[in-house]
Amino acid sequence: MRVEASNDTCAVGSLCVYRAPGVFDQDDDGHVLVLQPNPPAEMHEAIRWAARSCPTKSIKVYEDE
Amino acid sequence: MSTEAVETPIHYPFPWTPPMEIPGALRGLREKAVVTVTLPSGDKALLVTRYNDVRSLFADHRLSRNIARPDIARVSKDNDLFMDPKIDPDPPHHTKVRGLVTRAFTARRVEALRPVAWEIANDLMDKMEAGEKPCNLNEAFAFPLPIRVICKLLGVPAEDMPKFRALVDGFLSISKLPPEEVAASRMGLWKYLDDLIQSKRRDPGEDLISGLIQVSDEDNNRLNEHELGFWTQGLLIAGYVTTASQIGTGTAVLLHNRQMVKEIQADWSLLPTAVEELIRCQIMGSSVGTMRYAVEDITLEDGSVIPTGSSVLLSEESANMDETVFPEPFTIDIRRKENHHMTFGAGLHYCVGAALARMEIQVATEGLLRRFPDIRLAVPGEELPRGLGGFMEGFTDIPVTW
Repeated sequence: MRVEASNDTCAVGSLCVYRAPGVFDQDDDGHVLVLQPNPPAEMHEAIRWAARSCPTKSIKVYEDE
Repeated sequence: MSTEAVETPIHYPFPWTPPMEIPGALRGLREKAVVTVTLPSGDKALLVTRYNDVRSLFADHRLSRNIARPDIARVSKDNDLFMDPKIDPDPPHHTKVRGLVTRAFTARRVEALRPVAWEIANDLMDKMEAGEKPCNLNEAFAFPLPIRVICKLLGVPAEDMPKFRALVDGFLSISKLPPEEVAASRMGLWKYLDDLIQSKRRDPGEDLISGLIQVSDEDNNRLNEHELGFWTQGLLIAGYVTTASQIGTGTAVLLHNRQMVKEIQADWSLLPTAVEELIRCQIMGSSVGTMRYAVEDITLEDGSVIPTGSSVLLSEESANMDETVFPEPFTIDIRRKENHHMTFGAGLHYCVGAALARMEIQVATEGLLRRFPDIRLAVPGEELPRGLGGFMEGFTDIPVTW
């Protein structure tokens, strides 16, 4: 799995940080940071949930990479 | 006379009858993707009903958030909440202004406030324990908690809270107060905030208002004096009334459904999903605050067209009851995990305080159910009065005992 997130569209909903901590974080302004672009398998379900939760659809998950 | 006039008008916000149940008008509403509704002012607006349309339109730049227009529908003739011709609430300018405040609402900053919220909750519950039973949960707990948190965040002095609260309550009234009282509250609130900003300018602190003043003083183009007052007011109102109403009314719904309380008390890990589910059920308000203006024709998923110049409401409560997205939407399911509801909106205007609100509601709910294991409504839930006519329609009086 590969994870990307768009700083341009992020509206600082913070749900990703709560739902997949350690994978997502925020910069000082609150915009999304991806700490683990190639996360371990045990985080995948939480990441998919975080991506579905994102109010601006700013998280992209590439399952096959 | 047009054919439309023959149809029975649909009044919006929808009536809460009976008060403990999700409005019956929401059942079957999504048969049409968009319906014409009549507002308390008598003006008409287009209400978007389906989840996918609501979610995508929240992020659609063809709907302007600027409601200071002569031809837009008014919710009430007497209230001009957020109708300010000197404010530009659309991108790209608004995105920059918004960026100035989001930094105060990150997960890290919200979690730093969690112990503060617990401290306030514990203090309020100490007072409840020492006081008389039954007590009104709104007065004793639900309203004081978020106002103390947001005042801490923004830097409003504790002694100003009663005065501030009275001004906000009057200002938010749509039809229950005479127009001159609403106007007086509006003027009073502006005056109060103006004085507060002046005092912070003389004596800055570590709070959000002081931070915004500094930005404004350094570069008037990023945030001018008027915007500073407007957005401070917006943050205070949004940070207080919505969360307060959700805490009080959400708790009342839980207490009315005693089995849910027992399940949470047996397994505290249910608390976050339970809180989220009560937020989805949007038990304390409508979507009158989503008013937008179509600057172009917009085609919805099923081919319906919203014509240019329409006044548009995005019905969060209808989206949240969309049967194609939420299984058994009219059932309160405290274990619902896929719960991407629209109560906080979506897109670039997504509620900036959502994480803060969630944290406060979690603390409040857990605090009450732990401190008062037998807490219950002192009157039948069906008899609780709702605050109709205001932007907030939650229960106004929630007698509880324990």
